[in-house]
Amino acid sequence: MTQPGANEAERSRDIRKRWLLSLPALLIVLAAATGPLLIVVLYSFLSPGPYGDVQWQPSMDGWIGVFLERDMFTETLSIADAHVSILIRSVMLSLVTTVVTLLFGFPTAYFIATRPERTRELWLLLITIPFWTNLLIRTFAVLQIIRNDGLINGVLMKLGLITRPIQMLFTDGAILTGMVYVYLPLMVLPVYANLEKLDFRLVEAAYDLYATPFRVLTRIIIPLAKPGLIAGSILVFIPALGAYVTPSILGGGKNLMLGNLIELQFGQGRNWPLGSALSITLMLIVTAALLFYVRNVGSQGSRHG
Amino acid sequence: MAESNAVEIRDVVKVFGFGEFAFSAVDHASISIRKNEFFTLLGPSGCGKTTLLRLIAGFEFPTSGEIILNGEDIAAMPPFKRPINTVFQSYALFPHMTVADNIGFGLTMLGRPKQEVRDRVAAMLKLVRMEKLADRRTSQISGGQQQRVALARALAPQPKVLLLDEPLSALDYKLRKDMQIELKRLQAETGITFIFVTHDQEEALTMSDRIAVMSAGKILQVDTPRAIYDAPTDRFVADFIGETNFLRGRIGSVSGGIAQVETPMAGRISATLPPDFVPDGEVTVVLRPEHACLWLPNDSAPCQTTGTLENIVYFGTDTHYHVRLQDGETQFMLREQNKPLQRQRFSVGDQVGIMFEENAARVLRN
Ligand SMILES: Nc1ncnc2c1ncn2[C@@H]1O[C@H](COP(=O)(O)OP(=O)(O)OP(=O)(O)O)[C@@H](O)[C@H]1O
Ligand SMILES: [Mg+2]
Repeated sequence: MTQPGANEAERSRDIRKRWLLSLPALLIVLAAATGPLLIVVLYSFLSPGPYGDVQWQPSMDGWIGVFLERDMFTETLSIADAHVSILIRSVMLSLVTTVVTLLFGFPTAYFIATRPERTRELWLLLITIPFWTNLLIRTFAVLQIIRNDGLINGVLMKLGLITRPIQMLFTDGAILTGMVYVYLPLMVLPVYANLEKLDFRLVEAAYDLYATPFRVLTRIIIPLAKPGLIAGSILVFIPALGAYVTPSILGGGKNLMLGNLIELQFGQGRNWPLGSALSITLMLIVTAALLFYVRNVGSQGSRHG
Repeated sequence: MAESNAVEIRDVVKVFGFGEFAFSAVDHASISIRKNEFFTLLGPSGCGKTTLLRLIAGFEFPTSGEIILNGEDIAAMPPFKRPINTVFQSYALFPHMTVADNIGFGLTMLGRPKQEVRDRVAAMLKLVRMEKLADRRTSQISGGQQQRVALARALAPQPKVLLLDEPLSALDYKLRKDMQIELKRLQAETGITFIFVTHDQEEALTMSDRIAVMSAGKILQVDTPRAIYDAPTDRFVADFIGETNFLRGRIGSVSGGIAQVETPMAGRISATLPPDFVPDGEVTVVLRPEHACLWLPNDSAPCQTTGTLENIVYFGTDTHYHVRLQDGETQFMLREQNKPLQRQRFSVGDQVGIMFEENAARVLRN
């Protein structure tokens, strides 16, 4: 009806109009997303003020402080053992948390996905119940159970199995328990979403073709559930790495994680540049983890559904 | 005797649900399926065909009864131990594997050496004419090709019995015809017993060595396609397979396996009695539409009965005529093959005579 030229001009005008209309929203999103981040990056290159805050004096001390430590008297630099061990502990604890939530979360998700459709929603609701409660309260609940005069020690002593309470609180084990408890739903939900889509006729087909139940799990179910397993792992690993509340309550100030270390710099430590540099370090670790995910799953190209 | 049977189903019952919701999907079914046979389970939707097939495959376990394979009761054996493979209606190809890996899956699970698996996969690809697509993902091939892969995958481990649950129902007409021929060829070439499920009676008649007709969980008749069509022993079978005229009447006299049946709509009909039939009053006479022909009254032929022509339906290969019989209630259907350059002999509203072919009418139990 109309010439292609006129049509094209109209279309490009249309597109321009659309961009103009969404520009305010885009600007807000851009500012909200990058603004604070830029401030953190900027602060990491300034010097600390005496009572917190920063002084407008460029300095690399914040970044140097992430891994190195300046001796107060000799001014020589050495590896900051405390920071490195906290970093390693954080990564290790987050990895172990991820693995443990996988081990518990996968069977749970599989169980729910194989229930009759009517009852699945109920099971999912039960899984999300912890979310209804504030994180702080959930963490204190764990504390109540594992502390020296808490539920577990109380019962064990009543039964006469132990004479003195077992020290469970303020250990890495306590942090791990708390994090597994808090992050388990984040593993179950994406894995369930994936398993729910799984065509169980494929499972039957594999049984039919002489695969034992174990082989069906390793050759069919896990490969097909892989995107969900990886998504769940990321959803658990990333917040676990930056966890603050759980390690601070269950680790008791001794067993710090990265989140606590950062908080310390902005609080008692009064070293905002170091805190900023540590935050960015955490972000870089997370980015590396995400890139690893994209490499391993995104490029796989096994889209099905 | 038992040696010649591939699978024997003995008095199998499958009940789903409990208490007042209990429901027999398979109801005291007994069938002997012979070796190298193309055996078809035919019946309307919901009659229990899939359930019976799943019992043989091992996805369901019978409530009671035995399933004998090579002289052994396998009713409680898990599917991965049965030398039986299935072609699923939905194909159920593994989406995370290539075509070749799909076909080799069964042999790999059986722990066959890699080289053997490769050779066998190559042979299967050749058998189903899919050599070029070995490395494709299963999502990147057409429905007909997926069908072939599903067949090759189930045939690769050389099962004793191959189960096929409506494997052609998702294909369009032309492709379905091609695959029917392909299936017959594969069965002949491999010598494997096929148990084929369909609700398409034409497919069952053209492909099978023998057919079992099912209804509401029961096996009604097991016979060759010709016997099922020409000599149904059950009203349901006669009705389900092809089109049939049913004429109710009373048996007058019997001699030499032929009964004279008095019917209100078509007078006295000579009809063949089934071998083990005990005549007792009310019966139904069945007659296929192509076993009768129409005359104009002035043709002065020996007509069985007369009626009013109500409807003429042209089908290309043949023409169907619907005639209202004298009683004013019964509609009788006739089918005549069309000849080239044929003039239309009848028109709607004509008074017509109907002649039955000899030995065409049969008596059925009510
Ligand atoms: N797992 C089950 N639980 C309860 N009832 C079932 C189950 N599987 C099948 N049925 C019922 O058993 C009956 C037979 O089902 P089946 O799938 O064997 O029918 P079918 O002959 O294969 O039908 P179609 O031609 O539609 O595939 C149906 O009424 C069905 O609702
Ligand atoms: Mg079915």
